[in-house]
Amino acid sequence: MIHFSNVSKVYGKNIVALDHVDLGIESGEFVFLVGASGSGKSTMVRLILKELEPSAGGITVNGVRLSAIPRRGIPRHRRSIGCVFQDFKLLPNKTAAENVAYAMEVTGQRPRTIRTKVPQILDLVGLRDQMEKFPDQLSGGEQQRVSIARAFVSQPPILIADEPTGNLDPDTSVGIMQLLHRINRIGTTVLVATHDREMVDVMRKRVVALENGRIVRDKARGVYADEV
Amino acid sequence: MRFNWGFFVREALKGLRLNLIMSVTAVTTTAVCILILGAGLLVSAHVQGIIRQVGEGVEITAFFPKNASPERIDQARRAVEGFPEVEEVAYVSREEALRRLRTNFAEQPEVVEGLGSNFLPASLEIKLKDPSYAEGVAVKLEGAGFREEDLNYPQQTINELNRITGYIVWALRAATALFLVASVLLISNAIRLSIFARRKEIEVMKLVGASDGFVRWPFVIEGLVQGLIGATLAALVVLWVNALFVEWAQNAVPLLGVSSAAVSTLSVFLILVVVGVAIGVFGSFMSVRRFLKV
Repeated sequence: MIHFSNVSKVYGKNIVALDHVDLGIESGEFVFLVGASGSGKSTMVRLILKELEPSAGGITVNGVRLSAIPRRGIPRHRRSIGCVFQDFKLLPNKTAAENVAYAMEVTGQRPRTIRTKVPQILDLVGLRDQMEKFPDQLSGGEQQRVSIARAFVSQPPILIADEPTGNLDPDTSVGIMQLLHRINRIGTTVLVATHDREMVDVMRKRVVALENGRIVRDKARGVYADEV
Repeated sequence: MRFNWGFFVREALKGLRLNLIMSVTAVTTTAVCILILGAGLLVSAHVQGIIRQVGEGVEITAFFPKNASPERIDQARRAVEGFPEVEEVAYVSREEALRRLRTNFAEQPEVVEGLGSNFLPASLEIKLKDPSYAEGVAVKLEGAGFREEDLNYPQQTINELNRITGYIVWALRAATALFLVASVLLISNAIRLSIFARRKEIEVMKLVGASDGFVRWPFVIEGLVQGLIGATLAALVVLWVNALFVEWAQNAVPLLGVSSAAVSTLSVFLILVVVGVAIGVFGSFMSVRRFLKV
C-alpha cells in the first residue's frame, strides 16, 4: 500500500531528516511510526501526501509512483488518503457537519449523498448531537473526532494520523485510538505517527521506530521501546 | 469533477459575511479608487467639452469680389460644401451683410446712413468640424479662386487653442492612468491582506484534497462582489456630483460652456463598474494564487 525504497530527505544543505529509509506497509495494516521529535515521522507523512518531494529514492502509494504524479494530480492523490493532524486543521468558519461535508464537496459528490452521509459518519464518531457546533465550541477530543470523520467520510483506502493524540489528555486519547482501530478493522490501512508511548504499548500493533532519520526497529505486535 | 456554481457562490457569500471587516475594507478601498478615477474621467470630459465649445465658434469667412457673378458665387459655394472638413456653409449676400451692419449700429444710424447695398461684399461663412482644419481649408479656398486677403479667420487663436488643448488632454490622460495604477495596487493590497488572514484555511482546503480551482473560485467571486459593490456606490456618487456640478456651473459661470452633454452618464457608469469588477476579480485571483502552493 505504501512503499518507501531508499528514500532520503535533506532540508537545505545538510539537515538530514530521512536517511535511506526502506519501508513497506501492506493493505489493511495498522502501523505506528514512533520516535522522538525530529526523528523524521512528520517528514514521512508529508512525503506520502506529496507535500514534499524526496531528495532521493522512490515512494509508491496505492500502486502509484508519487514522482509520476503531476502537480494538478495532487488533489486526487490526497483524496485517496484520509488525514488527521495534531492540530486538527478544521476550517474555523464551518460547523462540524460543514467541515465533514467540505471533504465531500471537493470530490464533487451529490448534495443528496452529502446530506445523508455526513450525519452517519458523525454518528459513527459519536458527535451526532454536536453537528451544528463550530470548532471553537468543541473540546479538543471532539475536534479530533470531527477531523477523523472528515478524513474517513470518503472511505479512502489509507488513513494517516500525525500525532493525533498530541494535544489530548490520556482518557480522550484512548477514545481516539479506539476510533482509529475501528476504522482499521473495516479494511482501511492506518498509519499513526506518534510519540504517545502509553497508547502504542496498549494497542500492540506493528511498530516502526525512527531515530535520526533511520528505521532502527520494525516489529509486529511491538511496543514503544524494547524492554531492557 | 462536477462544477458546482451554487456551492461556490454560497461559499463566497459566506466568506463575505464571516470576514465582514475585511470585506468592508476591500469595498471601501475600491469605492475610493473608483471615485478618484471617476473624478478624473469627469474633469477630462468637461475640459474637452469646454474646449469643443470654444472650437465651435471658429469660422472662416471668405469674401467674394464685388463684381462676382451669381453663377461664380453658386459654383464656389457648392465646391466649399463638398470639402470634408466643413461642417456648415452659410451664404451672406450683400443685402444681408448690410442689414447686419445696420442692426449692429442701430444706436447710431448716422454711421450707416446712405450706404448702398453694393458697399459690402457677399461672403461665405464656413463652419469647420474642427478648428485645426482652418489652415488646410484656407489653402483649398485659395485653390478654388479666393484671394488670400479675402479670407478671414482667427489663425492665432486657433493655433493657441490647439496647443493648449493638446497639453490639457494629455495631462488628464496621464493623471487618470496614474490613478488607475494606484487603485489597482491599493485594491490588490486590501484583497491580499484579507486572503493572507485566511491562508490557514486555504492550506487546510488543499490538504483535504481540494483542487486549486475549487479553492480559488469562492475567493474570486468574493472579489467580484466586493468590486461590484464598491464600484457601483462610487459610480453613483460620481454621477450625482457631476449633476450637481453641471447645474452649479450653468448658473454661476454660464459663459464657460459647461454642459451635461459633455459626459455620457451610461458609459461613465459602465466604465467605472467594469474597472472595479475587473480589479476585484484580478486582485483576488492573483492573491489566492500565492497561497495555493501547498
